[in-house]
Amino acid sequence: MTDAVLSRAPAGSPSRSPVQRFLAGYGQELIVGLAVIVLFAGVSIVNPRFLSDTNINSIIAGNAYIAVAAVGMSMVIICGHIDLSVGSLIGVIATVAGTLAVSGYPVWVAWLLPILMAIAINASVGAFIAYTRIPSIVVTLGMLSILKGGLISATGGAWISDLPPGFMIAQMRPFGIPSAVYFMVVLTLLAAWFIANTDFGWSIYAVGGNSEAARAAGISPERVTVGVFALHGLFTGIAGILFATQLQVIQSTVPPNLELTVITAAVIGGVSILGGTGTVIGSTLAAILFATIGSALIFLNVSAYWLRAVLGLMILATVLADMIRRRRAT
Amino acid sequence: MNRLTLTIALGFGLMAGPAMAASGWTGGDDLPTSPLACDGTPAAAAAKPYDGGSPTNAPNRAGKKITVVDIPKLIGIGYFNATSKGIADAAKELGNVDAKTDGPTKANIDEQITFIDNYITSGVDGILFAANDPVAIAPVLKKALSKGINVVGYDANSSPDARQWFVNQAQFNGIAKSLIDNMAKEIGEDGSFAIVTSTFTTPNQARWIAEMAAYQAKCHPKMKWLETVEAQEDNTLSFNQATTLINKYGDQLKGIFGMTSVATPASAEAVTQTKKCGSIAVVGLATPNAMKPYVKSGCVKSVVLWNPVDLGYAAAHVLRAVVDGTLKPGATSVKAGKLGDLQVINGSEILLGAPTTFSKDNINNFDF
Amino acid sequence: MSRTFLFRYETVLALLTVLALATLAMLSAKFFTTENLLNQGRLMSEVGLIMLAMTFVIVTGGIDLSVGSILGMTAILLGVFWQKVGMPLPAAIVAAMLCGTLAGLGNGLIITRFKVPPLIATLATLALYRGLAEGISQARSVRGYPEWFFFFGQGEVLGVPVQLWILVICTVIAAVILARTPFGRATYAIGANETAAHFSGIRVDATKLWIYTAAGFLASLAAVIFVSRVTTTRSDMGTGIELDVITGVVLGGTSIFGGKGTIIGTVIGLVLIQALKNGLALSGVKGDGTIVVIGVVLIGAVLAGALLDRDRGGS
Repeated sequence: MTDAVLSRAPAGSPSRSPVQRFLAGYGQELIVGLAVIVLFAGVSIVNPRFLSDTNINSIIAGNAYIAVAAVGMSMVIICGHIDLSVGSLIGVIATVAGTLAVSGYPVWVAWLLPILMAIAINASVGAFIAYTRIPSIVVTLGMLSILKGGLISATGGAWISDLPPGFMIAQMRPFGIPSAVYFMVVLTLLAAWFIANTDFGWSIYAVGGNSEAARAAGISPERVTVGVFALHGLFTGIAGILFATQLQVIQSTVPPNLELTVITAAVIGGVSILGGTGTVIGSTLAAILFATIGSALIFLNVSAYWLRAVLGLMILATVLADMIRRRRAT
Repeated sequence: MNRLTLTIALGFGLMAGPAMAASGWTGGDDLPTSPLACDGTPAAAAAKPYDGGSPTNAPNRAGKKITVVDIPKLIGIGYFNATSKGIADAAKELGNVDAKTDGPTKANIDEQITFIDNYITSGVDGILFAANDPVAIAPVLKKALSKGINVVGYDANSSPDARQWFVNQAQFNGIAKSLIDNMAKEIGEDGSFAIVTSTFTTPNQARWIAEMAAYQAKCHPKMKWLETVEAQEDNTLSFNQATTLINKYGDQLKGIFGMTSVATPASAEAVTQTKKCGSIAVVGLATPNAMKPYVKSGCVKSVVLWNPVDLGYAAAHVLRAVVDGTLKPGATSVKAGKLGDLQVINGSEILLGAPTTFSKDNINNFDF
Repeated sequence: MSRTFLFRYETVLALLTVLALATLAMLSAKFFTTENLLNQGRLMSEVGLIMLAMTFVIVTGGIDLSVGSILGMTAILLGVFWQKVGMPLPAAIVAAMLCGTLAGLGNGLIITRFKVPPLIATLATLALYRGLAEGISQARSVRGYPEWFFFFGQGEVLGVPVQLWILVICTVIAAVILARTPFGRATYAIGANETAAHFSGIRVDATKLWIYTAAGFLASLAAVIFVSRVTTTRSDMGTGIELDVITGVVLGGTSIFGGKGTIIGTVIGLVLIQALKNGLALSGVKGDGTIVVIGVVLIGAVLAGALLDRDRGGS
């Protein structure tokens, strides 16, 4: 997309204080984080039960899998690509995991094998994109159809029930906190550290910013693309396992609109669709923001018929706020 | 800055305005309702003249092998897997029916119309359908009739003149009475409840909700409707919506209705995970397989559903009877294989019979 | 580089389409009949109209995910204006289409004035416009239109479905604009290098505004045809159509990066996809199988295009 150039404010300008630099560099994450807090505070005035720990738990734990998938997606977008097939892949992973679990395989096989599958599938897609130079939006659009059609052909959407209790990782609660939350927090922090502090992490930004310049600097864009898609596959696989183990039955279909939600979370979280900038922390916050909005609208008694319009307006408002912030910062 | 303020103000304005919820239950349609008598006296069945459509110049297929396609609202969910199984069972039993199920992967009227259109072109002898929209599907079904194809509907009707017969699993007001009575039994005459439905535009669900509202006002006036939420046909979304309702209303919420075979297990899951089994009742329509864990744990007492396998089975038999000429306009009953005689109501509808209640005792006998 | 390469890709695609048509005709005798082909022409018109506009959009390097929601919103407004507000039906049609066009203009403004990347902007308006459709309609359908209205979606002129005529006329207009007018050249220039286009005096923002407005207009035209075809309005109409449209346009040779693409390519892409969906169904392949085939064809065709490009030394 060769649209207007967006960039984070040049951090080296002498007239800027450290606070201004921080705001310019992490403004989007701050806006999103602030929005979450404001929303929680505001809604709990109307209905204090919004702040109850069961509610906070269901908002965060119930949607943690989206945040995990958004972390992977952020890295892909930073690298200059996109993945429209993430929803379909999560559906496939969940079905495979559930089928393995009820077929008597050990629990760790039911957890790990699907994750390896996700890594393999995504790495192959990444390799395809890297070496054929076909835009990722096209390839993953095709993969979306292939995975979805394949899943329905194979399963017909049958329910998988009688899942062994040891398999239900998302429902386990070490120290009283749902494991999904641990996954979300740990994976986000790990990814954030990885991107900012390792050679490979920097090369993701480099390739996303200008892949030919990266190549001139000795980085292989093809290897980086395969690598980032493989990483994305790891996160998608984990998200798929969390998704599969949330409820006691698995509906072996593709969850509708999941890819749009994940992409929106990554993008609202500050990852620029042009590639080269953004952090993964923002995408996790954005995923939480969406979940919060969804719950908040019900708590606020917004007429059910207008829910989606309000959600759309809020996405727009968040995006516009960011654009205005960037323009003022430059 | 101005634009930003404007946008935010617009956003809040949009929220504040319609925040006053519409009158009547959200999710119901606005067609006339006919609640049943509170004590179970069956409504007087007024005989209606036949109002179904008829095929133009249909070839005489009596006794011959026919190819039939079944196009449900969508494929890939347990409910329509079950109806498809019923149709396949009937086809095997009859021996001269070649049946296939095909359809869109999401409940979308445009795709369903395209599927039907393709099968018309490919020259099937009969079409079975469950409509995503009763009016939108009518033109393509009428086209089928005009090509001499026999058309029978089940589960979700079309406008009557677009099909020959419609196999109705249960009357809308009958389902409404069943659901409300079951809920009243579990949560008491002054309990408050919420509803999880698919979408507000799904005709069957909208009809049921409207009838439920009418029946509740008539026979259990002290019960209180709190809210209806949409959850499409998505398991996880239904779970999240149900959980939000439980969190929002706290102790005030005593019961949840699940209006689809996806919403009910998800609501039961939500009640289980928030540890409210026993304090929140879940009543709804669902397939047994999806409900087994919850019925076994005692969290859900009973699940109401007609048997979708029987529904598909009956639909296939009705189509065969129509093709063979044993079911003609004006008939009052039709024989449907092992289900025996089914009654004709409302001119061109065939009633499947009483709903089945799945409970701890019998739920293991079913596999759909 | 551009001209000859495009010509090559479209030729390959056309050959592939002819091959597909021949194969499908062999697999089912009912496929290659006049009646079926005209019927498919009828069914593909709505998607086809939107594909015309989407070609322009993608050639500029942008994208519009909200076309399906604009379709739904226009359909709902048509019903609301006619039934609730009480306008005469022709006025209601015009008013609804005006709103759909304004929705497209809204997209354009967000993209040009606020500089929001098109993917994000239309992701937001996808939710917003669909939400407006749901809210305004309160999930009620409007039905009972007069007979004459069904002419657009179900009628014929000289034996050819009405909407197919509309599609053909719009295709010719679009092709001429894109290939032969300064506006079309500006579109390509913006897609190839927006900054350079700006500095060479092209009114980038104005061009984009027109293009996104046109997308809204064609989506609303498709909505009118759709309502006329199914005789009712629903707030979920057009859900998911944007992916079909993008698949067809990309299949037709338009590059997602912008700067390349033709209307003729889009038309061939449209025909190929419609033929596959119809022909495979007639040969007994079920819905889920068809989805897989289309996914494979998309990847295969674009791969073929990329390899051809490589041969000619393109980047």
